[in-house]
Amino acid sequence: MTAELPGERPRAASGGELAGLLAKVARGDEAAFAGVYDHFATVVYGVVRRVVRDPAQSEEVTQEVLLDVWRTASRFDPSEGSARSWLMTLAHRRAVDRVRSAQASAEREIRASRAATDYDVVVEEVETRLDAQRVRRCLDSLTELQRESVTLAYYGGYTYREVAALLGVAVGTVKTRMRDGLIRLRDCLGTDS
Amino acid sequence: MRLRRTDPHTLAGAYALDALGAADRENFERHLLGCEACRAEAAGLRDAAGWLAEPAAAVPPARLRAQVLAEAARARQQPPPVRGTARVRRSWHGIGWRAPRLAVAMAGAGMLVALALGTLLLSTQHQLRVQEAHSSQIAAIMNAPDADIMTVQARTHGSATVVMSHAAHALVLTTARLPALPSTECYQVWLMGTHRTRSAGRLPPPKQGMTPPMIVAGLAAGDQMGVTVEPTGGASSPSAPPVLMLALPAG
Repeated sequence: MTAELPGERPRAASGGELAGLLAKVARGDEAAFAGVYDHFATVVYGVVRRVVRDPAQSEEVTQEVLLDVWRTASRFDPSEGSARSWLMTLAHRRAVDRVRSAQASAEREIRASRAATDYDVVVEEVETRLDAQRVRRCLDSLTELQRESVTLAYYGGYTYREVAALLGVAVGTVKTRMRDGLIRLRDCLGTDS
Repeated sequence: MRLRRTDPHTLAGAYALDALGAADRENFERHLLGCEACRAEAAGLRDAAGWLAEPAAAVPPARLRAQVLAEAARARQQPPPVRGTARVRRSWHGIGWRAPRLAVAMAGAGMLVALALGTLLLSTQHQLRVQEAHSSQIAAIMNAPDADIMTVQARTHGSATVVMSHAAHALVLTTARLPALPSTECYQVWLMGTHRTRSAGRLPPPKQGMTPPMIVAGLAAGDQMGVTVEPTGGASSPSAPPVLMLALPAG
């Protein structure tokens, strides 16, 4: 069903499903790769677009990320983390690397004004999914400074030093808030499923 | 520079959010190699961070699917990593450190860098020949079929990476980011056996925080390797508790 409706995901494929798909992709299975695309293209494109902003560049980066998946699926090692985490790391890193290498400082300032608050505004609204709701609820359980630190870094692509400057707080404070915020997020996502 | 004095553990969150600059990221990843608890924490936080993508989900242009699938069909895939000649142990008991697969790749790369640095710094032909002989000994140990690779954290700061061949009774030692010493002191390496302790010589001076590979030969069963801080000329026996200590696995 997903093959006909590439924009919709039934639900995020479970970690096990994705790991299974990746194992097939590593062996050159193009149908399995199409499965990865159908399950994850919206979330990959979404996060890339949030960080990169520019639609044309976002499309480019999304394509690079998915081709990375194709090329390097054999390097995925389940002992180092979940398949989903591996894929999201590829996507987020690529997006962040793109903005850090290319973004002019003026553009970064504009993004700064938006990035922190609009994590729940999507470019093209995907049907509301349980996972997204769960994440929003968990984000809301963070303290304000934790949430700002985490979202500026993740959605804005800022380094912790930049986040500290944007928030006008000490670098050490931001580091701690990022870690505490993610720990709280992790615990919330883990217990709330 | 500042990072080196900061407790790297606190960077786990920023790392998981890709909020470290290139240099900070590299330092932190080096730290991860020697810290299993940190790797586990970083993996957990990374997993949590990855879920933040969910609320951002957005439908890509429909043409992208066909483009990506067509590109993939044309792109060669990377082969899986294959264990090289070095035999990797996943863990040893009794000392509390591990040799993760990642460490093998990183330590290997680190040593190549160290080798390259060592070679570059030599000028005369004679020195070059000595260096080549030294390098081929190092290569022989590193490529030995029974080579084990291990990384151990120093008590102070920094870490040591050891590639050991039982058959050759020898190991190659490099260190990274050990605290700098005043000119009146040096690091000295010891083999501490059940009956006696032998000096294996002084650690070469670090280049950009890393010591070039040093060969320690004449290993005996039951030896531990220790590194102490001694007066510059070296000592005949360790005069202080080791800053790092490694029980060498039995063959």
